[in-house]
Amino acid sequence: MDGEVLTRVLTQVAVVVGLLLAVSIAAFVGRDRLVATAREWRPRIRASAPAFAVLVVVLWLNRVMRQAGPGISERIGLHMTETFYDLEGEFVLVFQSIATGELTAYFSFIYVYGYAFLLIFPGVAYFALSETRTFRRLLTAYSLNYVIGLAFYLLIIAYGPRNVMPEELTVTMLYDNSPEYQHLTREVNRNTNVFPSLHTSLAATVGIFAYETRSSYPYWFPVAAVLAASVAISTMYLGIHWAIDVVAGLVLAGVCVRLSGTLVGRRPIARLRRYLDRRPASPDDRE
Amino acid sequence: MNRQSTTRPNGVDRRSVLAAGATGLALATSGCIDRVESAVGQETDRLALSITTVPADGDREAVRIARQLEANLEAVGIDASLDMRSRSEFLEAVLIDHDFDLYVGRHPADFDPDFLYEMLHSAYANESGWQNPFGFANIPFDDHLEAQRRVDGEPRRERVATLLEALAEENPFDPICFPEEHRVARTDRFEGWSADHPESRHGYLELEPDEDVDRLRVLVTDSRISRNLNPLSATLRERGSTIDLVYDSLATEHDGDLVPWLAEDVELRSADGDDDHVAEATITLREDCRFHDDEPLDADDVAFTYRFLEDTALGRSEFPSPAPRYRSHVSTLEGVTVESDRELRLEFATGLEAARRALTVPILPEHRWREQVEARVGNAEAFTATQGQWGLVTMDNVPAIGSGPFRFESRSEREHLTLERYDDHFTGREDVDLPAVDVERLQFGIDPGSASSIERVANDGADVTASMLEAHALETIPDDPAVDHLESPSRSFYHVGFNARIEPFSNPHVRRLVAGLLDKSWIVDEIFDGHATPTATPLPEEWEPEELIWEGTDPVTPFFGADGELDAEAARAALEDAGYRYDEQGRLHQ
Repeated sequence: MDGEVLTRVLTQVAVVVGLLLAVSIAAFVGRDRLVATAREWRPRIRASAPAFAVLVVVLWLNRVMRQAGPGISERIGLHMTETFYDLEGEFVLVFQSIATGELTAYFSFIYVYGYAFLLIFPGVAYFALSETRTFRRLLTAYSLNYVIGLAFYLLIIAYGPRNVMPEELTVTMLYDNSPEYQHLTREVNRNTNVFPSLHTSLAATVGIFAYETRSSYPYWFPVAAVLAASVAISTMYLGIHWAIDVVAGLVLAGVCVRLSGTLVGRRPIARLRRYLDRRPASPDDRE
Repeated sequence: MNRQSTTRPNGVDRRSVLAAGATGLALATSGCIDRVESAVGQETDRLALSITTVPADGDREAVRIARQLEANLEAVGIDASLDMRSRSEFLEAVLIDHDFDLYVGRHPADFDPDFLYEMLHSAYANESGWQNPFGFANIPFDDHLEAQRRVDGEPRRERVATLLEALAEENPFDPICFPEEHRVARTDRFEGWSADHPESRHGYLELEPDEDVDRLRVLVTDSRISRNLNPLSATLRERGSTIDLVYDSLATEHDGDLVPWLAEDVELRSADGDDDHVAEATITLREDCRFHDDEPLDADDVAFTYRFLEDTALGRSEFPSPAPRYRSHVSTLEGVTVESDRELRLEFATGLEAARRALTVPILPEHRWREQVEARVGNAEAFTATQGQWGLVTMDNVPAIGSGPFRFESRSEREHLTLERYDDHFTGREDVDLPAVDVERLQFGIDPGSASSIERVANDGADVTASMLEAHALETIPDDPAVDHLESPSRSFYHVGFNARIEPFSNPHVRRLVAGLLDKSWIVDEIFDGHATPTATPLPEEWEPEELIWEGTDPVTPFFGADGELDAEAARAALEDAGYRYDEQGRLHQ
């Protein structure tokens, strides 16, 4: 029975994100890159398979921890709600002073649809690049975000502003205005997972990558920057995260991008495997 | 300011002097010495209090009360903070670990005032569970608790009134209000909603599904029923009907009366003057009842249940390990005699009224629970079953095997619990004067939000919301003929509980002063949008003595201020009168 609402919301998200992707692929990626990708997709997939596999494992782990996490947290976790609230007080309520119906609609849209699009589009865009390193780095950075974020979620038990200050946040609170989204976020998250904000860290990760790849995708960078900033603000505007979570998310993004650069070599693992397989390298695979 | 009457130390009355007796006095004096020393100005002695409560996802009204209280405590110079826990961790902290200063929560209460015995008797002050979480211990008060359970009718009413007066005086917990219970139900698939409280055995029994409707889709906001079905768990449920549906009890409460349930006949009578006990009951069980695993249910299972609740280790542990629930239910019993397979005699240490709750405990299958005890104790020479915390009372008990009208079918943690009709249940028999169950399947889906639950019922994604809807979501109930808005009064009450084991709440004056920081009328108007009734006692009006009846303001601990605005000066003055000192920055020191 839960499934009905969830399926409806998921379909909605899939359709909207699909449309956004179609438009932006046409606008940012362009025909030439798509043609080249259609030709070279096999070796690119082979080169990126390990990074992709890691991400799949991490996402699976994330799902498992949704069940097992609370039990572990109860034993080792620290209750930090009060600490955050003491540190920043009612800071996130500044957004309530500028709240309007339109802004609430905008940020709700950003939080759900904009965020999904922001994470998926770079995957397509970087896969369409002739070199695979950016793509592999992106996947690795995503994995790192999740793994580190998950570790913090186990260690730190904290509720977001909407759970502490429900009355001040009723106007913009996401789940009051659009209760259907609660089914979606409940699938991927728990209400004590607030520090750091993974919405912010993943969005900022995409933002930093967009900056680094602005020579390949000059028009994507401003779009990504606006979207990423909107995602970060939306988490506070909608009462889901504390400002501290958002700051921690930004730091986490920086760390993950940096680490992905160190961890992902210029010589793909796939090449090594091919070497082991004693298959001759095809020139297409070279960076 | 007409409030300087009874609570201030310069106006201590006889009862509170008595109250400070046995347990309080020693603590209070030692506290005084500490205070004199610390007043010399150590920074660390500032009075700090942590308010334990659940997050808004668990109970939005409770958080709002807690924050209001936090703000007012800060305003009088106390370093207050919120300690937010999930529902089960909240109960763990309060009921099991007793690790709290004060908390805001809702007590399930019961149909008879004797639940106060469980809540407040000093014999339970060191036990874990629903029994006396406050660690409150007061000899004269114990006498009141005992006196009310020995008599019936008008004499009992008088003693309960005395008890409530003493309770208001001592204030180990401060009742705030009785919320209204609101639910929504679809009328196009099932009929019979309005007849009974939707969260009771009868509520589910009397539903009539339309043709080709095979399941009732119930929404609950609380995921705990999908995780645990142990009737003894103190932390995984406080109310709700699942245990009542899976297990039978001898009798069941219906519209305030007790009606025979698993017992075909209950003959409850006062004992003869020369007997040791006060009341006794002869129980005749219905013929040929079976548990869901097809084992027969007989009088031995009933006797076992009572013994087991008294000591869940069945004598195998070094110390008895009473269950963390149903403590006062079974404490009314003095003797249980099995007379035949279907007949028992129960002897009660209490009058007829207080004895009734003993008949409502779930009857457990002896063969399964004894086996569980054996498996856990094993051959250990010295075994300790930590009271309220050992494996047997915390295990998830899935699948639950009872004898009730519904049996466990399946569950998925945090998603659903599904029960199916137990076709051999006695309610289905021709000669039993109880409504037969027509619903084939009960599917409890978890939906944490009140607003989204209402929306799902409105969109035909569910048939009823079983959990009480939160006040803030009520305005979203659609005006739709297919959606019934069910409203009923609640016995459960919001309250602030104090940990009387430790400073500063070992001092009843401080408990009362803190109660004076709560504007109950304002809380009801603002936080509950008027969907609650403010109260000075934990019992409904028919039990209240005249002096405690709510008349616009709290008759015992009126708010320091008006309309939610605290008169901090008055409150500070009262705290100083109680022996606390302020430093130059206006911070309160012990």
